[in-house]
Amino acid sequence: MRLLRGVYEGPGSHGVLRVAASLRGVHAVLRALPGEGYFPALYGSNTRGGEPAPVSVSPLWEKPDDSRAPGDLARDLSAAVRQNPEAEAVVVTRSEAALLSGEPLPVTSLPERARTGRAPKLVTCSWERPGIGEVEAADLALEDFVRAYVWGKRERSPHPTVNLFGPPIFGPGAAAEYAEAERLLGLIGVEVNTRVPLGTSVEDLSGLPRAWANVTLYREIGESATQYLQDELGMQRVTTPMIGATGTGAALRAIGELCHLDTREVQRAVWAELARTAKLPWYARLYRPETFVGRRVAIFGDFTYPLGLGHALAREVGLEVAACGTYLTHAERDFLFHASTFTDESFVEDDPEKVAARIEAADPDLIVGTHLEEGVADSLEVPFLPLCPPVAEHPFVGRPLMGYTGCSVLADALDSALDRSEKRPEAPAGGAAQTPWTDEALEELAQIPSFLRGRARRLAEERARELDSDEVTREIFLQSRD
Amino acid sequence: MTILNESGVPDVLPPLHAVNGLANRLTGALVVVVGTRGEAHLVQSLPAAPTPGLPRSARSARVASLVLDPEHPPPQGRIASRVIEAAAGSRGTELVLLVAGRPAALLGVDASFEARLISRRLELPALAVDPDAARRAPGSLSTDLQDSVIAALVDLCPKRRTSDLVETDPPARKLTGGLFGNLLGRSSEEERPGRGRPVVLLGAYSSPAAARELTGDLARSGVEIAGTVPSPKGLADLPPVGEGTVVAIMDPNLTTAARAAEERGAKLVRTLMPVGVDGTARFIRDVALEAGVGANEVVRARTVWVDLDPLRNHIRGKRIFFAGDTGVEIPLARFLADAGAVVLEVGAPRLDRRVLATELQALGPDVDVVESPDWRGQLARIDASRPDVVVASPGLHVPLIARGHLCRSPHDFLASGPYGYGGSRRILELFAHTFERAATLDSVHL
Repeated sequence: MRLLRGVYEGPGSHGVLRVAASLRGVHAVLRALPGEGYFPALYGSNTRGGEPAPVSVSPLWEKPDDSRAPGDLARDLSAAVRQNPEAEAVVVTRSEAALLSGEPLPVTSLPERARTGRAPKLVTCSWERPGIGEVEAADLALEDFVRAYVWGKRERSPHPTVNLFGPPIFGPGAAAEYAEAERLLGLIGVEVNTRVPLGTSVEDLSGLPRAWANVTLYREIGESATQYLQDELGMQRVTTPMIGATGTGAALRAIGELCHLDTREVQRAVWAELARTAKLPWYARLYRPETFVGRRVAIFGDFTYPLGLGHALAREVGLEVAACGTYLTHAERDFLFHASTFTDESFVEDDPEKVAARIEAADPDLIVGTHLEEGVADSLEVPFLPLCPPVAEHPFVGRPLMGYTGCSVLADALDSALDRSEKRPEAPAGGAAQTPWTDEALEELAQIPSFLRGRARRLAEERARELDSDEVTREIFLQSRD
Repeated sequence: MTILNESGVPDVLPPLHAVNGLANRLTGALVVVVGTRGEAHLVQSLPAAPTPGLPRSARSARVASLVLDPEHPPPQGRIASRVIEAAAGSRGTELVLLVAGRPAALLGVDASFEARLISRRLELPALAVDPDAARRAPGSLSTDLQDSVIAALVDLCPKRRTSDLVETDPPARKLTGGLFGNLLGRSSEEERPGRGRPVVLLGAYSSPAAARELTGDLARSGVEIAGTVPSPKGLADLPPVGEGTVVAIMDPNLTTAARAAEERGAKLVRTLMPVGVDGTARFIRDVALEAGVGANEVVRARTVWVDLDPLRNHIRGKRIFFAGDTGVEIPLARFLADAGAVVLEVGAPRLDRRVLATELQALGPDVDVVESPDWRGQLARIDASRPDVVVASPGLHVPLIARGHLCRSPHDFLASGPYGYGGSRRILELFAHTFERAATLDSVHL
C-alpha cells in the first residue's frame, strides 16, 4: 500500500485496451465495474478521431436473474460479436475490481459471423492479475495476438523487409515515429512488412514471418512478441533505440546487416541524412561549448525514450546526465544496465514524489520527463521538456523523436529550453549561497511534498532576505507560504 | 411522454473523475482515493488531458491516491495511519475525505472504520465516501460522487435543537386573499423575511455563484436561507439540518443527499429543480410554501420570460438530443421544451422515478425518455434524426463531431450555473453561442 500523488501507468486492462484499439479488426470487451469504464472518454480526447472506442463494457453488477441487461460476460461477448460484425478478433480483459472479485472467465465459444461464417478469434489474456501494470500488460497482450495469428513455417519476402514494433495509441507522436522509421528504411532499400500494433489488422499479423527481421522501436510493448518470433521462427531483431543520430545510425546499420545490404550503401544513406535532415549534431557544434558543458539534465520516463534521449544528450550534445530513471519496475535490470553507459545516476522508481526528490537532489538545469515531472520543474524553476510517455498533451500534428527527423525535433526543443535558461551562477566562495535554516523550519519544510519543496525553499529564503534575517526560521517559512 | 428502458450500457463519465474538482471546491479538504492503480489512473488522467466536451479541471495538490497492493491488503488501521501522515504534510486541512469504492471493499477495507480512526486521531472530521454506492434505482451518473459527498456533508451539519424549533416555528397562516388570490398565490398574508422555517439548499456543486443568486431570489420571497451544502465558506459555515429544517435540492441526482437530510428529520421539498424559468418559479413557490411563507412568482416569471425572448429566438424550433450523463439533462430538456425547442430524446443512465416524478410530469407529452440507453443505439438514432445540437456524453462527443453533429457537454451547463432565473439566461446563452459559432464556422469558405 502506497500513498501516491500520481501514477505513471494505468492498470493492466488499460494496456490491453491500448493494444486492442491500436489494431484494426479487434473489439475489446472490458469486464469492469460501471465506474471503471473510462477508456472511451480518454480514447476520444487522445485520438481525436471520428470512431468510438472499439470497446464494450461488460458491467460487473448484481442484476436480477431474469434481466437481459448486460452483465453476463458470456452473453456480452456474444453481443460484442453481433454488434461488431467486422471484428476478426475479440479480446476480453478484466479490470482490477473484476480480477479481485474472483470471477472465473467463462468457457464460451463465440458465435459465427454472418459475413464469413467463421467465429472471430477469442483472446482471453489469461495471465491477467490485479497487480500488473499497463505497459507490461500491453506487451503480453501483443504477444498473445502474435501467438494467435502466427504459425507455420517462415517464408521470407523476396526483397528485404522488416516488421516495425512501435508504440500503441496514446503514445506521443506514435504514428509519426513509425512514419519516420519507414522513411529511413526506404532510404536504405528496406520495405516495411507490417507495423505492429498501430494501424495493422490482425489478419496482417499472420504475415509477420515474411519479414527478414523485426525492429523494436518501442521495446516496452514489442519485447515479448519479438522474443517469441525469435525463439519460434528464428527471426532476429534490432532493439537499439532509434533516438539521436548515433542511435539511429546504429539501428540502420544493424538492420542493413540483418538484411544483407551493402554496408557502404547504408553508410552513404546515413551520411546523406546527417547532412540533410539530422540537425542535432549540427546544433551541438553550432553553439559555444559553454552552452552545454557543465549543464545537468535529469531524464525520467518509460524505457526507450529515457535511454535513447539520455544517450543522445550525453554523447552527442555533451550535457551531463545527472539522473536517469524509469518507472517500469519490471524492466529494472535491463534499464540500469543500459543507462550505466552514459550516467552513474540511474534509478528505478514509480512514486512521483520520490522521483521528484531524486530529480531535486540531482540539481538539474533541464528536466526531460513525463507530465508528472512538470511540477518539480516548476518548483526548481528549470526548463522542462515533456518528451517521455505518459504525456497529457496530444497535438494534432505528431512529431517524431525517433530517427533523423526526431534529431531535429530534439535540437529545436533543446535550443528553446537551454536558450531561455541561462546557466545558473556558481555559489560564491565559502558556500554562502544558501541562507541557513533553523531545525524547526526544516521540519516544516519536510512536510511539503517533494515536488513542491524546491519552490517553497526559495520563497522562504527570499522572504528571509526581505526581512534582513540571517536565517530562515519557522515563522519566516510559514509567512512565505501565505 | 414515453419512457423506454433500453437496458444498455450507457456512456457515462466515471464518478471518480470529479475528485480533483471536489478537492478544489471544498476548502481545506484532503481527498484520499483508496483503491486500485486503475482508480488512481482514472483520477489523474481525465483532468490531465484536454478532453473535448469537458471543462479542464486542474489537478489538485490536495488529492492523493492510496494504491492498495492486491497481494497484501492492508491490516485495519494502516490506511488511517498513512492518511494521518499525509494530512500532517498538508497544511490547513479541515476535512479528510476517504473515497473508497468497491475495489477497496473487495480488498477488505472498512473505509468507515478508517475514517473514524482518522477523525479521532486528527480531531478533524473525516468522512468515508463510496463512489460505487448502490442507489435505489440501477445505473450510475457522472455526478454520483458529488451526491455521496454532499450526503456526507449533511451528516456533518449541526443538528437543530428543540429550542431552535420553537423560535422558528411558523405562525399559523392567515390567508385573506380570497379563492382566486389563494390559487394564484396572491394571499395578503403578512410576509416578513425570516419568519418561516429555515431553508437549506443542497447542490449547485459546480457553480456556487449560481447558488448565491438563487439564495437571493428565495430571500426576496421572504424565505430564510440557513445556508447551502456544500457551503462556499467551508465546514464552519455548514447550516443546521434537522427537524424543522426545510431542505430543497437543486440537482436531480442528489438522491443520497436528500435521503440523508430526510433521515435527520428535515422536510424535503419535492418539486421541480430550479432550472429554467418555470422550474425556478415553482421551486421558489413550493420552497416558500413549505417554509411557511407564501410567494408569488407568476409576475417575476412572466417578466423573465419576456426578457429572455431575444435569446429564445435562437432556439425556437431547434431539435435537441440529450445523450445523458449527469442527470441534469431532464430539467434542462424540460426548460428547453418550454422555451420552444424540440427535444427529440433524453437519455437517463439512471431514472429514479420517485425523485423525478414531478420533473417527468412536467417534461410534456412529446418527449421520449430512454432509460439505460445503449450508446450504439443512440448513435444510430442521432444519425437518423439529425438534431440541431446534441448534449453529448463523453465517449460520444468526438465521434459525433466527426460525423458533423453540433455538440455540447452537459458539464458545460453545470459549470455555467443553470440554477435560478439567471441560470435560465445562461443556458439559453450557451445554446445561442453554440449556434452562432457553428454558423460562423460554416460560413467560412474552406
